[in-house]
Amino acid sequence: MAATSDTSADIEEHEDVWVFVEQHDGEVANVTWELLSKGRDLADERGENLVALVMGENIDETDIPEQCIARGADKVLIADDPVFEPYRSDPYGEQFRHLVETHKPAIALIGGTHTGRDFAGRVAVPTHAGLTADCTELEMEDGRYEMRRPAFGGDALATIICPEHRPQMSTVRPGVFPAAEPDADRDGEIEEVEVVVDEADTMTEVLEREVGDVADITDADVVVAGGMGAEGDFEPLWELADLLDGEVAATRDAVEEGWIEPARQVGQTGKTVRPKLYIAAGISGAIQHLEGMDDSETVIAINTDPNAPIFDNADYGIVGDLHEVIPELIEYFQENEEAIPA
Amino acid sequence: MTDGWNIVVCVKQVPDADDVSIDPETGRLNRSDAEAVMNAPDYNAVEAALELRDEVGGTVTALSMGPPNADAVLRVAVGMGADDGVLLSDPAFGGSDTWPTSLALARAAEELDADVVFGGEETTDSSTGQVPPGIAAHNGWAQLTYVEELESRPEEDKLVAKRDVEGGYERVAAELPVVVAMGFGENDPRPAGLHRKIYAETDFEPETWTAEDLGIEDEVGLAVSPTQVGGMDTADPVPREQEVVDETDELAEQIAEVL
Repeated sequence: MAATSDTSADIEEHEDVWVFVEQHDGEVANVTWELLSKGRDLADERGENLVALVMGENIDETDIPEQCIARGADKVLIADDPVFEPYRSDPYGEQFRHLVETHKPAIALIGGTHTGRDFAGRVAVPTHAGLTADCTELEMEDGRYEMRRPAFGGDALATIICPEHRPQMSTVRPGVFPAAEPDADRDGEIEEVEVVVDEADTMTEVLEREVGDVADITDADVVVAGGMGAEGDFEPLWELADLLDGEVAATRDAVEEGWIEPARQVGQTGKTVRPKLYIAAGISGAIQHLEGMDDSETVIAINTDPNAPIFDNADYGIVGDLHEVIPELIEYFQENEEAIPA
Repeated sequence: MTDGWNIVVCVKQVPDADDVSIDPETGRLNRSDAEAVMNAPDYNAVEAALELRDEVGGTVTALSMGPPNADAVLRVAVGMGADDGVLLSDPAFGGSDTWPTSLALARAAEELDADVVFGGEETTDSSTGQVPPGIAAHNGWAQLTYVEELESRPEEDKLVAKRDVEGGYERVAAELPVVVAMGFGENDPRPAGLHRKIYAETDFEPETWTAEDLGIEDEVGLAVSPTQVGGMDTADPVPREQEVVDETDELAEQIAEVL
């Protein structure tokens, strides 16, 4: 698989903004709608089409293509074959390579989930694309596509450019951009593409797949998050979140301790949330965590260490153990139910 | 394959994340004081490689790319139990992004006749996670990322992985050769044995290969890297009230205000 040498003439042939539609069994990952909203802005600025790419089986029995159009796509490309369900990097990668060679997109946006990152890393190589992981800002600047991402553990923001190779690919973690709202009146084109992958050529086989409901913490107005200070007991956080109609989230450390599911991780390697209220309990405030929540409207900090960086990054804080403070908060809101909007 | 598998584990030297600071005067990053260490997720990769060798037999070769002093991370891997180490070191590699980096590692893995190539989930200094899939793609091999557990099937020349996916897991069987990115923290890396550690730090000398040795001198480095760093800004802190209250009720009132 030799490197293709891209020339400037070749670069000018590339146009359109693509979004990889991440779906399993007809369920679309929410990050896809977020990418469609950002992709729409980019396509408008570039005067190009926004194209949604769907791979899977029996896509025509779902409303995924129509949903993509309603949420901003001008065109939907569908590669429909049993070989594409469930996701595997090798058939998806081969099909994507073919589509890039035949359709020549300028930009491709991919969700920064495990599936999206597995896919992006695979497909960037044969297409000789420039790939930037975990972008938090994507902008057109004087006709140039600029991808910004955290660097050095989040202390800095690096601007990555891809001047001489196409497509320019970016992965984006869930929650970074707002989801595109559906507009049923939008028009778009749906095209079935040729499937170039054969099951006999695949190198992998999915033996078993166990996927439950994925918690979505990115939509909640109230997020109660715990860190190492929870010391293995998230019960008070669940109770408070329940009372305030919110969701429970956690730091990477807490997830790695196995105290809570990975889908609830906030931060550089997890999700980005921007709720009205973020309660950080027993969280020291490492930069990697702050990055996933510092767009929250109001931040409350509860920590035993008065010098914890979270206090500099919070609006209101209290020095104390969350296992004492949170039960007191629960008691307050049980006694003052009128303080909680219906 | 009765003589076991050729197992390669990729490791990277990175600045110790805890040592990187921001200069309060200039707002610039200060990495010069940071100690060079082995990327933390790579310990899980080395452990998985050693466990696999214990199961199916064969050898584990640690592979790194970096300046000449990056041999230190190969010594860490050898100290843990890797049989050998190879360093890809050449000024021609300088400025390589993940595309040429994964090409160099892929060519070296081919040269080592690898059956399984391990890597960590991602590096702490770049955090892209793109290199393991890149190696697999360059060689046209299978890939298994975000791996929690492995099960070897030597009689079928297959490796089965339990992978972490959003909301659950999947079990995937892959034909050899295969590239495996171990999930961070998914196993307990063994400490280096005393005698092995002494050997790793004294008598052990890794081989060094250049870009020319791999036949890729025109395909690596800054000039052929698709991505470039166009600028670097320090992140601005979000302005906050930073008010610390004494009583929980005061805190509750502030919360009620927001609700």
